[in-house]
Amino acid sequence: MILLEIENKIVETTLKSRLNSQKPDAVDQTVADYDGVVFHISNPGRDKSKIMVSISIRSYAQLQQHGVDEHLATIYGNYLTTPEEGYDVSLLFDLENLSSDKDILIRNASLLKRNCVACVFEKYFDLQKQYEDQGVQSKDFAIINYREDETLYIQAQKDRVVVIFSTLFKDENDIIIGKVFMQEFKEGRRGRQEAPQVLFSHRDPPLELRGTSARIGDNVAYISFVLFPRHTNPKNRQNTINVIHTFRNYLHYHIKCSKAYLHSRMRARTEDFLKVLNRAKPEKVSEKKTISGKTFVRR
Amino acid sequence: MATRLPAAVIDNGTGYTKLGYAGNPEPQYIFPSCIAVKESAGVRSNIARGIDDLDFYIGDDCFEQPAYAAKYPIRHGVVEDWNLMERFWEQCIFKYLRAEPEDHYFLLTEPPLNTPENREYTAEIMFESFNVPGLYIAVQAVLALAASWTSREVSQRTLTGTVIDSGDGVTHVIPVADGYVIGSCIKHIPIAGRDITHFIQQILREREVGIPPEQSLETAKQIKERYSYICPDIAKEFAKYEKEPAKWIKKYEGINNISKRPFNVDVGYERFLGPEIYFHPEFCNEDFQTPISEVVDTVIQNCPIDVRRPLYKNIVLSGGSTMFKDFGKRLQRDVKRTVDSRLRISEQLSGGKLKPTSIDVQVVSHSMQRYAVWFGGSLLAATPEFYSVCHTKADYMENGPSICRHNPVFGVMS
Amino acid sequence: MCLQNFSSQVIERHNKPEVEVGSSKELLLTPIIISRNEKERVLIESSINSIRVSIAVKQADEIEKILCHKFMRFMMLRAENFIILRRTPMQDYDISFLITNFHTEMMLKHKLVDFVIHFMEDIDKEISEMKLAVNARARICAEEFLKTF
Repeated sequence: MILLEIENKIVETTLKSRLNSQKPDAVDQTVADYDGVVFHISNPGRDKSKIMVSISIRSYAQLQQHGVDEHLATIYGNYLTTPEEGYDVSLLFDLENLSSDKDILIRNASLLKRNCVACVFEKYFDLQKQYEDQGVQSKDFAIINYREDETLYIQAQKDRVVVIFSTLFKDENDIIIGKVFMQEFKEGRRGRQEAPQVLFSHRDPPLELRGTSARIGDNVAYISFVLFPRHTNPKNRQNTINVIHTFRNYLHYHIKCSKAYLHSRMRARTEDFLKVLNRAKPEKVSEKKTISGKTFVRR
Repeated sequence: MATRLPAAVIDNGTGYTKLGYAGNPEPQYIFPSCIAVKESAGVRSNIARGIDDLDFYIGDDCFEQPAYAAKYPIRHGVVEDWNLMERFWEQCIFKYLRAEPEDHYFLLTEPPLNTPENREYTAEIMFESFNVPGLYIAVQAVLALAASWTSREVSQRTLTGTVIDSGDGVTHVIPVADGYVIGSCIKHIPIAGRDITHFIQQILREREVGIPPEQSLETAKQIKERYSYICPDIAKEFAKYEKEPAKWIKKYEGINNISKRPFNVDVGYERFLGPEIYFHPEFCNEDFQTPISEVVDTVIQNCPIDVRRPLYKNIVLSGGSTMFKDFGKRLQRDVKRTVDSRLRISEQLSGGKLKPTSIDVQVVSHSMQRYAVWFGGSLLAATPEFYSVCHTKADYMENGPSICRHNPVFGVMS
Repeated sequence: MCLQNFSSQVIERHNKPEVEVGSSKELLLTPIIISRNEKERVLIESSINSIRVSIAVKQADEIEKILCHKFMRFMMLRAENFIILRRTPMQDYDISFLITNFHTEMMLKHKLVDFVIHFMEDIDKEISEMKLAVNARARICAEEFLKTF
């Protein structure tokens, strides 16, 4: 597995088993997803024929400023209901009254988180188009605190959209491995014209963010993606969103995998050293026998 | 929601891994503890170039990959191959739980008598590779005890009891006193789910002809899971079947995988004979002849005298192979019989001068038996106390992996 | 490595590696430092019944530094198997070995020397290989990610 999946597997499998079974079971699960997202799948009012999927996202209030409600309404339509207490969005499925295409329904539900975040991207991609047509641009950013100490900035310009992730490394060793990775991201564009330009800066926020409240610190890194119209046009847009919104987790996932890999190397090497050391132990003199049971006398 | 994200609970058994988030009544995933890797020809295949080491599958996906070799990193409950295990966890966390390990506390399980070194290695992987903020390694038997709390009142909650853990491969009888396993008294029984399946398969093979040979194991397994139960007395049960075969003999309908034609199997005596091998192991195993009730009794008798009564009082079942109907009832009756007869003898020997107080034998069954260990973990990891007993990343950095050698017992709510 | 059994002359019935206790000066020899440059050096301290070899491994940049640190910690965690490995390194060094007269009696001396030399040769190689591997991984990951655009 190199790329992370964008849908939530638990939501998907749970719904699949519940929507397709003849006799609906009771369900009550609280599960998490990346970036502090919590899903709650339950039967509202203990009614087994109804399934409610609720999601809580840390930055929902900020997303609302960018029209997440309208965006979700276009996707989920009348499955949306008043959010459950403690959660931000709720979908309600009435098992006795489902549209015929369950698969799409399930798929969409498992993409709930992705769709919530997508609205900001969509909005700014549209803005960029607008700026391009009108020849003006504003300097404002969309700021989404997608995690406690990490922030996503999006800015639309005349000919591009700049997406900046700030990410925080909890472990000092991670910073160093992370730097190697980001360096490669920066250079990875060589030979791939279609890829966006990537910039990164460690410790200080990039130029665009100077003067904002962006954090400065040894364990902070900023990665900017410069998306050009070829990424933001309606045709490629969905794919771009799919990819870019997992970036932070992708980076951290691979840093962790690298460490796991290093561990396995170290295990192998340690074993190697042990073998060499054990050579120093004098061989135990044991009688070796041939198959027929005769022994050789060692001279 | 400003509260903490739920902790992740991962129970790695020999056969199956149960994983999910704490606070839920059932695990989100139950899949084989199996990892499929590409076999490379080189001797030192573990040193791969590039990122080949990300190319693997875990769980049910393993068996659908022809070019990959399926391996089980856990043997007899103990992790054998740490390289594979580390990668197994990698996908558990990132693909199935979809959790950023930096945000969640983790509760892992270990078999009784796990070595402290293994605990250190686990901690090393969890803290160094995954940067988890907190880790607790719990003993499976203790969690099984905790899982039985659902069926009793708060005041009755105790971490003293005898755990009978029967999975697919082996059955353990583990005495636990105040949350600590009495290691010297653990006994293994070489009879578990797999043996029952084989036994049923054998009976079917002798009698039924319609079953396609390559599906006979699968069929036996299905019959075991669907129709088997435990009877109080075999002789009477046989008579019952003789009298009213129509009422007791069930029909199993299967479909031949190849020809797609349905076939029928009459399910008769094997319904109660299968699980009966727990109580009459001589049916299928010549080397082992002690019934489970006697093993339980010996285990408790080996324990220190002051915990024996509470151990008899709280015999807890865990694992899929204890799910047979009336398993608990039968076990309770048989153990009780043994205990009572011993008391009677001691009364006789003393010439009637001693009147021992009778011993209360109780076998606890509950609905979570199948994944009792996981459920116990989920229960405990959802309490606020859990966060205070966890080893945190800061502790680890300060003191090194040795802190994980000891995991304090908690959860005995008074 | 001409070591002999030597009971402690300070405390009765104790037998300790003199290089570690350092309580009696007359039993210690002058330590030797062999260095290629500032970063790569070996310190050998010897005494009547024990010898301590400390190694500082080359660390050219940040990544090599953490790799080395990680690796050494990994090995020292398993010190039990490496009979002659010290659980903590000497100050300013990355890893230390402690060889006592019991070790030399139990094991072949020249093979022990072989081991230390093999270790020094391999450790540099392994660390630079690991560094390359991390870089390669990073590159592939970056490419895979950007490819999807």
